[in-house]
Amino acid sequence: MPQFDIATFSEQIFWLFVIFGILYFLMSKIALPKVGEVLERRHKTIEDNLGKARALKDETDAAIAKYEAALAEARDAAQADIREATEKAAAEHAAKTEALVKKLSKKTADAEKAIAGAKDDAMKGVAEAASEIAREATDKLIGVKVQAKTADKAVSAIVGE
Amino acid sequence: MAGPLEQFEIKPLAELSVAGVDVSFTNSALWMVIAAVLVTGFMTLSMRRGALVPGRWQGAAEVMYEFVANMLKDNVGTAGRKYFPFVFTLFMFVLFGNLLGMIPHSFTFTSHIAVTFAMALVIFIGVTIIGFVRHGTHYFRMFFPEGAPIATAFILIPIEIISYFSRPFSLAIRLFANMTVGHIMLKVIGGFVGLIGIFGVLPFALLTGITVLEFGIAALQAYVYTILTCIYLHDAIHMH
Repeated sequence: MPQFDIATFSEQIFWLFVIFGILYFLMSKIALPKVGEVLERRHKTIEDNLGKARALKDETDAAIAKYEAALAEARDAAQADIREATEKAAAEHAAKTEALVKKLSKKTADAEKAIAGAKDDAMKGVAEAASEIAREATDKLIGVKVQAKTADKAVSAIVGE
Repeated sequence: MAGPLEQFEIKPLAELSVAGVDVSFTNSALWMVIAAVLVTGFMTLSMRRGALVPGRWQGAAEVMYEFVANMLKDNVGTAGRKYFPFVFTLFMFVLFGNLLGMIPHSFTFTSHIAVTFAMALVIFIGVTIIGFVRHGTHYFRMFFPEGAPIATAFILIPIEIISYFSRPFSLAIRLFANMTVGHIMLKVIGGFVGLIGIFGVLPFALLTGITVLEFGIAALQAYVYTILTCIYLHDAIHMH
């Protein structure tokens, strides 16, 4: 078997060491660093892009939070405005109602006074008419001329002033 | 017709001698050069552009890189990182040596015990040095594991010593035997194809199947050779 021909060992082993040594040098100094560098660069690019994506997402989240805060603020402001307007309207309405009530009660009072005056006048007229009728009746019936004063006194006594 | 062993013959292409030692450039050396050139070409030309999104060739080179890197990481851990260039060179050299041997009329330098044993011895000595450098005399604990009952020492220590020193032999013989036997088998069965006329289709079919198998073995044995190296490295760095 040629494998056990010891005479060929030295040449095989010599060239094995030489060629393996050269190949080792080429791999360790040139080929492998290049591959490692490419893989490292790819890894870094992916990491960078992920980082960038993460930063953009954070930015977006911040913008959304800001937008929501602004929206909430605007809503609060709008609600405050509405409340203020409602309160103002209610106050105005109350004031108007009060004024109207005052005006109406004054009118009522005036009317009552006028009615009382008219009633008094009317009552006076009635008493006058009664004493007149009493005097006329007395004259016609019994022919006694009653003094106006006496008749008035009698009427008022009956009416119960 | 050539005999089945003729393919393993070392033929000097250029006679050379240094200090009385024969270092002729042979067909074995030529195929080592071809393997080294192909490995270097594959690993540098395919990475030439170093694209962020790899093409087919770059992807293949990166797959080889990551395959060996992961093998080393899984078996040795991060401490094995600095031996990566050696392990990678070893894997590619053996793999290409095995695969180039599948080309008809080529020469399989990994089918020679001198080559596989020389590499195994370098690995064995290197690993032993790493072990002693890292652990000092504590590395002798390899032969008597921590926690073993002292009474078992007289049997355990010889067994551990034998197992430790048989490593380069198992490493060298496994690769050499697999390559040699595979090639002999191909040659012998191939010889039958022409000999038995029309019935030659039967050995031919068998030959086709075995050729596929041999490609698998070529890759597998390169893997085994490398992973055993990783395991020895692991033992040297982390002990048992």
